[in-house]
Amino acid sequence: MSIYLLQTINGIGIGMLYFLLAVGLSIVFGLLRFVNFAHGAFYLLGAYFCYQMTRWGLSFWLALVVAPLAVGAIGWFTEKLMLRHVYAKPHEFHIIVTVGLALVVQELVILQWGPLGDSVAVPELLQGVVMWGSFVYPKYRLFVIGFTAVLAVLLWWVLEGTRLGSAVRAGSESTEMVSLLGLNVLRIFSLVFALGAATAALAGVLAAPIRGAEPFMGIEALGVAFVIVVVGGLGSFGGALVGGLLIGIVQSVMSTLWPEGARLMIYVAMAAVLLLRPHGLLGRKG
Amino acid sequence: MSAAASPILLEAQGVEKRYDKFVALGGVDLKVRANTVHSVIGPNGAGKTTLFHMLTGTKTVSGGRILFDGHDVTREPDHRRVRRGMARSFQVTSLFLTLPVRENLRLAAQGVAPAMALNCWSPPVGRRSCADTVASVLARLGLERHADNPAGNLSHGQQRRLEVGMALAARPKAIFLDEPTSGMGIDDLDDMKRLIQGLKDEHTVVLIEHNMGIVMDISDTITVMQQGRVLAEGLPDAIRADERVRSAYLGNMITGGKA
Amino acid sequence: MTRHFHLLLALAIVVAMPLFMQSGSLASEVLIFGLAAMGCNLLLGYTGLLSFGQGIFFGLGSYTIGLLLTRWPLPMPLALAAAVGMGAAGAAIVGWVAIRQRGTYFVMLTLAFAQMFYFIAYSASGLTGGDNGLLDIPRPSLAVAGHTLWPLATPWQYYGFVAVLFLAAFWFLRRVCDSVFGRTLLAVRDNEERAAAVGYDLRLLKLQAFVISGAVTGLAGALHAMMTGIAPLSNAEYHTSEMILVMTVIGGTGNLLASVLGAAFYVLLGDWLSTLWPRWLLLLGVVLMVVSLGLQRGLWGLGESLWGLVRRKAPKNAPSAGLNATGDNA
Repeated sequence: MSIYLLQTINGIGIGMLYFLLAVGLSIVFGLLRFVNFAHGAFYLLGAYFCYQMTRWGLSFWLALVVAPLAVGAIGWFTEKLMLRHVYAKPHEFHIIVTVGLALVVQELVILQWGPLGDSVAVPELLQGVVMWGSFVYPKYRLFVIGFTAVLAVLLWWVLEGTRLGSAVRAGSESTEMVSLLGLNVLRIFSLVFALGAATAALAGVLAAPIRGAEPFMGIEALGVAFVIVVVGGLGSFGGALVGGLLIGIVQSVMSTLWPEGARLMIYVAMAAVLLLRPHGLLGRKG
Repeated sequence: MSAAASPILLEAQGVEKRYDKFVALGGVDLKVRANTVHSVIGPNGAGKTTLFHMLTGTKTVSGGRILFDGHDVTREPDHRRVRRGMARSFQVTSLFLTLPVRENLRLAAQGVAPAMALNCWSPPVGRRSCADTVASVLARLGLERHADNPAGNLSHGQQRRLEVGMALAARPKAIFLDEPTSGMGIDDLDDMKRLIQGLKDEHTVVLIEHNMGIVMDISDTITVMQQGRVLAEGLPDAIRADERVRSAYLGNMITGGKA
Repeated sequence: MTRHFHLLLALAIVVAMPLFMQSGSLASEVLIFGLAAMGCNLLLGYTGLLSFGQGIFFGLGSYTIGLLLTRWPLPMPLALAAAVGMGAAGAAIVGWVAIRQRGTYFVMLTLAFAQMFYFIAYSASGLTGGDNGLLDIPRPSLAVAGHTLWPLATPWQYYGFVAVLFLAAFWFLRRVCDSVFGRTLLAVRDNEERAAAVGYDLRLLKLQAFVISGAVTGLAGALHAMMTGIAPLSNAEYHTSEMILVMTVIGGTGNLLASVLGAAFYVLLGDWLSTLWPRWLLLLGVVLMVVSLGLQRGLWGLGESLWGLVRRKAPKNAPSAGLNATGDNA
């Protein structure tokens, strides 16, 4: 099997994970006009909750459900108790408060689980490889692609097809209008923020068997999430998908050609987009 | 006294502004004579503020030319036009709210020589404090008592006057006032009307207003806009009698209640 | 005049540290990061620009002095000047590009540049030593024609040198903040659209702020490299930019001395706690959240409020005059 085919499929897998990681950040920005610097911390928590649950002998599948719910709840309370109070303040404090939160989460993780990081076992059902002629590929990674694709459809349906989704899309245009329509804007904020946290945690859970759980993965994830969200378009669901896949595939393919260059390139792409087309590939102007 | 006698200070020729497919201005011609009060009126959405943005350089035109004092300023950004002698106030109050009134005016006065703003060595005292200009504008606005208050602490009416003052402090040839009386109560209206009337001697005033009483009383020329184009232009009496203008507005809004 | 009062306070801090502290290196570190925080505050507190790129200029300063004292040796004062110049040049480039966007997009651009610089520094290991950084950076004494004017061998001797440069930079930055330029920056921070409408060229103003900030931060980086003897890759990491911002915000963005206070808080607390409790950054994160939620004027603001209580006057309210009696910017 050619190395480029392999890297492209890897890229799609990574890209789908990136999408899941970035979509929450993007939607939160679209609605709350808030860049959440603690987003990476939710991803981190997802991975570690998964790790802890498997350590307790619980199944990975349980972790897949419980971890995002738990982190989503944390997100809900964070917005309700803390973030809500900074919306009226100058924008630097939105960023600083989430930077503080990210620091706190990271240090708590190290406090609880140590600074070194641990590996997480691939669930039994998905261990091993799939063989189809000359095509050989790890089962788990295929699962990740399939699962996130289903999730993407589900999320898209929620955004386009449900009342909550309409409220979120309307709120991205004008929160005033939404409150005039009688919807509880603040509750929608909490819900959206929780959803963002949950999707990030879910990405963390899915990533854990591939790369383990390690305290500094939050910061790394945050950097990548920013790139995807900028390239795809702040506030755009489709942008997170396109951006995630694009960055994932490019990064994967580049890693065989010029590894350090891959990391550099994605940030060059981010800067280029910010300068030439700041609303990203699929974002809306203004 | 005869407005027709003074030279043309500002001219817009076929000015257009498009936002993607939406045409905000579809070819506007305007001639403003020196030392006159030239009002621009029209229903909401007529493009009045957009025209202001084009004239003052806050935004760039999509087509057409703008000539000021003999120069083609079409491509010049707002900070360059200020140095040519064009200053504006804003429809929505836009002051330096955390800074004192005096400092607001000093900054506006300093704006005509912005190279000085790069001076990172000398404090703004003596020559650099523009004290004379600031003092005279404060007096004209009647805001001496509030000189050291932050602009954010003033009443709405006082803030609207300061808005005009910001444009005045630049000692402009042409001063653009965008709905200076918006949101003002009756008491403040007279002050504002007298302020604007008093500007005619030393400046040329281009005014957007909805208050027809003021427009009819103080204007030398009125331009009526509708949907991005000029509908009619002339003396107040002519505009008042114009059928097209009447039908452009619902009701008798433009007569200001007078017959 | 308050400028003199602040200068005296700065002098007092500089003189007090040798009297109350054991470690010359720690005292130097306070002043070095004080410089970096002041550079950051010029952008944040005075111009309203939140820059995640300060690590770039700090790193540039370290790498420059490292290279100019080892590989292509120059006399130390010249090498130092070059480091300051490189910090300024880097800031001019980053600033010129980043300024094209505003608000969130500006912040993210500085982040992107910080990451780009990190990966470039990592890759260009021929120049920067890559992951290892530059090592064995000497600390030559200040000498003229072979005559040693000022030996810098011991930590406290070096502290004296750093202190003089710090005071000079502080005095210069105070002048800048009180100047026509500094006051115009406050207007830009308050209301950009109005500043442009009134006649100011925002790009030039912001660019000049960036250059001055970069110069001061480059100086800090260089002094840090001479003190530790290394120019590590970590200076260019996100963490460094983040920590400089943290110091600036915690101290309070109201004036320059507050930034020094923030740096002192971070450095001293870190030194004291990190041996007792390795996870002291947790506390720092909590302080950040508290500052954002309630204590926006930072530690300096807290001090002012307490002082006001002590003197039994009402503490200053938050949305107060832009230029109050002490010449602060908030």
